[in-house]
Amino acid sequence: MSTAYQPDLQKNNLKQYFQFRELPILLYIIVIIIIFSTMIDGFFTVKSFENISRQITTIGIVSVGMTLVILTGGIDLSVGAILSFAINIGGQGIVLGWPIWLVYTVMLALGVLLGFINGFLITRVAVPALIITLGTMNIYRGITMVITDGIYITGIPSSFQTVGYGFIPLVFFVIVLAFFIFMTLQTRFGRNLFAIGEGGQSALYSGVPVNKYKIISYVLSGFLSALAGIILVGKSGFIQPQAGMGYEMSAIAAVVIGGTSIFGGSGSILGTFLGSVFMGIIIAGLTMLAINPFWIGFVTGVLIIFAIALDSLRQRRKG
Amino acid sequence: MKNISSGKAKTFFVLIGVNILIIILLTILSPTFVTYGNLSAVMQRMSELGMLAIAETIVFISGGFDLSIGVVMALSGAVAGTLNAMGVPFGLVILIALLVGVGVGVLNSFFVVNLKLQPFIVTLATMSILRSIVYALLKGNVLTGLPTGFLDLGYFYILKIPFLFIVFIVTGVLVAILLNKTITGRKIFAVGGNEQTAFLSGIYVGKIKYLVYILSGLISAMAGLMFTIRIRAVIPDAGLNAPLEVVTAVLIGGTTIYGGKGSVLGSILGILAMYLLLNGFSLLGLNPFWNVIILGIILIVVVGQEGIGKSLKMLLPGKNREMEAL
Repeated sequence: MSTAYQPDLQKNNLKQYFQFRELPILLYIIVIIIIFSTMIDGFFTVKSFENISRQITTIGIVSVGMTLVILTGGIDLSVGAILSFAINIGGQGIVLGWPIWLVYTVMLALGVLLGFINGFLITRVAVPALIITLGTMNIYRGITMVITDGIYITGIPSSFQTVGYGFIPLVFFVIVLAFFIFMTLQTRFGRNLFAIGEGGQSALYSGVPVNKYKIISYVLSGFLSALAGIILVGKSGFIQPQAGMGYEMSAIAAVVIGGTSIFGGSGSILGTFLGSVFMGIIIAGLTMLAINPFWIGFVTGVLIIFAIALDSLRQRRKG
Repeated sequence: MKNISSGKAKTFFVLIGVNILIIILLTILSPTFVTYGNLSAVMQRMSELGMLAIAETIVFISGGFDLSIGVVMALSGAVAGTLNAMGVPFGLVILIALLVGVGVGVLNSFFVVNLKLQPFIVTLATMSILRSIVYALLKGNVLTGLPTGFLDLGYFYILKIPFLFIVFIVTGVLVAILLNKTITGRKIFAVGGNEQTAFLSGIYVGKIKYLVYILSGLISAMAGLMFTIRIRAVIPDAGLNAPLEVVTAVLIGGTTIYGGKGSVLGSILGILAMYLLLNGFSLLGLNPFWNVIILGIILIVVVGQEGIGKSLKMLLPGKNREMEAL
């Protein structure tokens, strides 16, 4: 069992984190920045970093929710579908001329609701999260397609684009990161997520309300997916039913590249942040090198295998 | 043992019942349903996903997971189309297209067996990698120009039954024989049932897993060629939704993702029910996305029902069920 990486209350958490897990990924990031800076003119500029920061925000926020779920030993394949459902169904409010606060509330509430449905089903029927969220992913996406009939929502008031200007998405991302880093390291709930993911019955025997906490992790994942959707609408200025396609893949990639174990029980939000930065830089670099975007999936897949192979080695070394 | 076989029989009865019910409903609701043209189209259409379901059944029984079935289907078609355009003799083209499936199987099992990685994540990654390769090979385009002699297999019927459907059924029978009547088949069940026990009783677990993923890749590659024959072209998005549809059909058919349990017949009945429903939706003029919604619901209900049944049988109070979920 990977106890070595659980937050230790007696020691300085941050120090411990840098000592063990995030150091390699931080080094990769520095190396890749150096490589791209020498290869591409104008890569090491404020403008290009603004672009990268805008690019990683949406998937980054989704990845934070995915991390919470994976820490408990689960997985959430429905994140992209929840994002799309929240903004498309909530977006019908824009068509009806609702005020912005009401639309945002409805979108976030939809995210919470769909996340709750996932968590409820997973804990009640004792079926692997993989199967449940594979099912709900398609139910949510299907309902979105049936209700919207595949039609985009355009002509959105400019007030909805405030959250998408310049560095504002990054500000949202940083707030989300700060909140959830604090939560995973310093609160009872956060620490218990690790205990649940460790598996076995120790969490239950020590009085952790396992099912309740699992449900909360899916609710948070749903909420963050909806929040990412709101920022996506801000950035793009329209709402499309296909939004969030493939996000589950990119989010899982960011999480495992960031050093969180796919088996649950160990990992960190900080790692996920670095994982999404790493992927964002690679994608931006490939785009600036005019390499066909088809290859992004290739790179993502290779990075995932690389990351889980590392994790597996780490687990085996521990015995 | 008696319990398992009676459970199996119950699944089959329910599935056959569901299929009959759908057929009766569609016969009443749509006048075009029971026409030879419609039924043979359904048979053709279900063939390639049926092949994928057979492939996934073998993998599930061994306790594994293969998400790359859909992309292997696209890849074998893309490779065949590309090589054919380069002027490679067509016999060789077919052979290489099938070997591509075998190659993917070897790759997947290398990661699962030698590096001991989790099959779900590994095949999620290979799925992403291979889809990139498919797009790169086809540059996002649809490829035509395959030999008509090959494509006309789609118009070939034996006793009025489409050739592609016959290939699907024959493959199903062969795999069912492999699983149930051979020592290798028993070993696949044993590995899925309890890997440790299988290992201790002298089974080369690694070898069996290699065999399972290679078979899955090969059958998926065949499905790719069948798909190409049916639509008479190579498209980059082939099999994009296949993982969901196939996993749903296989689980409906009584195969579990925990390994050690399952049957090809169940998966075939599952695919049949799915395609009858799909056909019904299009005949009745409903939005095709209803199908996706219903598939998702069926998946959760079927798998969930098993979980509910299990916890009821053990008569555990809520607290203990939580432990099981862990």
